[in-house]
Amino acid sequence: MTNIPDVDAPDPGSAPAQIHAEAPGDHRGSWIPTRAMIATRFMELRKRRGLMITLIALTIGLPTLFLVIKLLLHAFVPHSYGPAGGFAVFTSLIAGVLYIFGFIAAMTLGATAGCSDLADGMFRQQVVTGRSRVALYLARIPAGLAIIIPMVAVAFTIICAVCVFSAPSSFDFQDTTVPLGLSLHGYQTWAADHPNLIICDFPYNGPCPGNEAEPITPLPRALAQRQAEQNYPTYAVTYDSPPYGEMIRAGLWLELEVIIAYVFGLWFASLMGQRMVPIILMIVYEIIFRPFLLSTKIQIPHLINLQRPLVIELAVAHFEPAGIGINYGIVNGPAGLQDSSHLVPESTAIAVAVIAAWLVGWTVLGAWRMATRDA
Amino acid sequence: MTDLLASPNRTDEWAVETHGLTKRFGENIAVNDVELLVPRGSAFGYLGPNGAGKTTLIRVLLGLTHADAGTMTLLGHAIPRHRDVALARVGAIVDEPRFHGHLTGRQNLQILAAARERAAKGRIDPALERVGILHRADDKVSKYSMGMRQRLGVAACLLGDPQLLILDEPMNGLDPAGMQDMREMITSLVSEDRTVVLSSHLLDEVERTCDAVAIVDRGKVIRQGPISQLLAGSPFEVQVECSDPDRARSLLEGTTFVSHLQVGPNGLAISLPENTQRDVVAEINRLLVEGGISVHGIQQIQVSLEEWFLSVTSRLGAPE
Repeated sequence: MTNIPDVDAPDPGSAPAQIHAEAPGDHRGSWIPTRAMIATRFMELRKRRGLMITLIALTIGLPTLFLVIKLLLHAFVPHSYGPAGGFAVFTSLIAGVLYIFGFIAAMTLGATAGCSDLADGMFRQQVVTGRSRVALYLARIPAGLAIIIPMVAVAFTIICAVCVFSAPSSFDFQDTTVPLGLSLHGYQTWAADHPNLIICDFPYNGPCPGNEAEPITPLPRALAQRQAEQNYPTYAVTYDSPPYGEMIRAGLWLELEVIIAYVFGLWFASLMGQRMVPIILMIVYEIIFRPFLLSTKIQIPHLINLQRPLVIELAVAHFEPAGIGINYGIVNGPAGLQDSSHLVPESTAIAVAVIAAWLVGWTVLGAWRMATRDA
Repeated sequence: MTDLLASPNRTDEWAVETHGLTKRFGENIAVNDVELLVPRGSAFGYLGPNGAGKTTLIRVLLGLTHADAGTMTLLGHAIPRHRDVALARVGAIVDEPRFHGHLTGRQNLQILAAARERAAKGRIDPALERVGILHRADDKVSKYSMGMRQRLGVAACLLGDPQLLILDEPMNGLDPAGMQDMREMITSLVSEDRTVVLSSHLLDEVERTCDAVAIVDRGKVIRQGPISQLLAGSPFEVQVECSDPDRARSLLEGTTFVSHLQVGPNGLAISLPENTQRDVVAEINRLLVEGGISVHGIQQIQVSLEEWFLSVTSRLGAPE
């Protein structure tokens, strides 16, 4: 190599090194993203019109369409189609629609946020600013969650509103009108007057003697009242509007699932550097594999202790509200609406620890990939 | 966290300084033991044929990929150790500038400004105005031409009020007017005491724009310095208009300082080897006059940067 002294160029020593003042307090090596970074990342995601339409259709559109159809059918053919609201509709929409499609929507958004800069060539330009790559990654978490959490909350609010305001005011069963909204005492009184119907046709704890469909002989009034007391929790949540406590728990549970899906999608796409493959894999997982992972059928006796920390869905299912337990086909089990024996047993502390560890773990892995990737 | 006010290892002599910088991709050495010194406040061309490792060197300098060996500093700050401090005052386009197509030019700059210091946001409109696309700032980038994206890329570079701009093939996609604008912009940036490093294979553009160059071939810097100085030692040609070119050729064939002679329609073309002193031209004139040949004119034809570049790089490519 030949080094030739520079004679024509300006004297380097006189270069105005300090005329462009360096900004004090600009800690761009920090891992903590600035508010402006989060805001602009939010804008970048929100401006993806096609993506936003898809997410809204999945989270808000599907349950809204379902409810509108139910409302119209009930309005025009009330004898054939029951009310659009009520606890049963609530659980169906939460577990069967919003839980699944909220997961898919959140994961899709996370996958988009995880690779949009790479795909569009903006990652390199952002890295050239000197900003910490970890901060660039972490800015995507609140930005994306600020989109998907309100979106799911809106869908959830619509479901709750319809299910509360359009809940059935009465319930007809075997030509008998079952009053709704009774207190325990009122329900016991009504049960005593209808011993055959209560004992053998409402879910209760224990097999019905003889033919389950038809009562053998009317029970004494006292026994009917005891059975009614036993059945009351189920009665209270099954045929009435969803209880507020149950709704709040279900909403928080849904948002927890959405947060997990988003963070996972973000990491997965960041790891792979693309969006489509992670989305397809996650949808396959969500629809096909997850129900099996939660089932006792695949419990491996000597590896249950491994299943607990490795399968985050077990931890999430731990926080599932009792009344929502229909998404794994265990509704109307002999123990009630949710039969926890179908899940690998896990304490709340372990469940919390597993969820926290997975969220932190995925985030660390995603940030590491971002920090080590060639830009 | 690193405070920008604290600037360890700072030296003000060079905008870019590398020693033994090496980057390998498997068996292929893309950047080979590069020693590079870019003086502050100059327009510096980084020249090389396609595949010579120009972009790889820029990527290493900017911390976009790691180096396998060597040391480097940007604006006096060691890279990668003080990368955040150094890049705070560096603007760069690597390869073609790419942006989110679904966002407007202004929104893209907002994203990049957010990653910089707070004041960068206030530089968005002036930067757009300076590169001449303020009137299209609210159009989606997907509707921009390649030339407009180049301009937007330069605007993105200006957000950090850079002391050093590293532009990788900035003339790509520009029409002649756009190239002229870009040349003027580079000149004006240098006049503001900023340093511009220009990577290109367009030698003519570099010659018009830059004060100094480095020539890279197969990952290695083979020459560097001010253009005028590099060309001063290069071979050149003298065109002689005279009364008898054939006899002039016979006269000069016996001399030692001529490498090639050719009689053409414009007279006698004399090729002189590299490092030839200017006095030789006077000596040629003296020999011809003493030989009884009337000399009507002697014109020295300086080799262009392109010709010099080709001679240097092709020589390296030749089998030894």
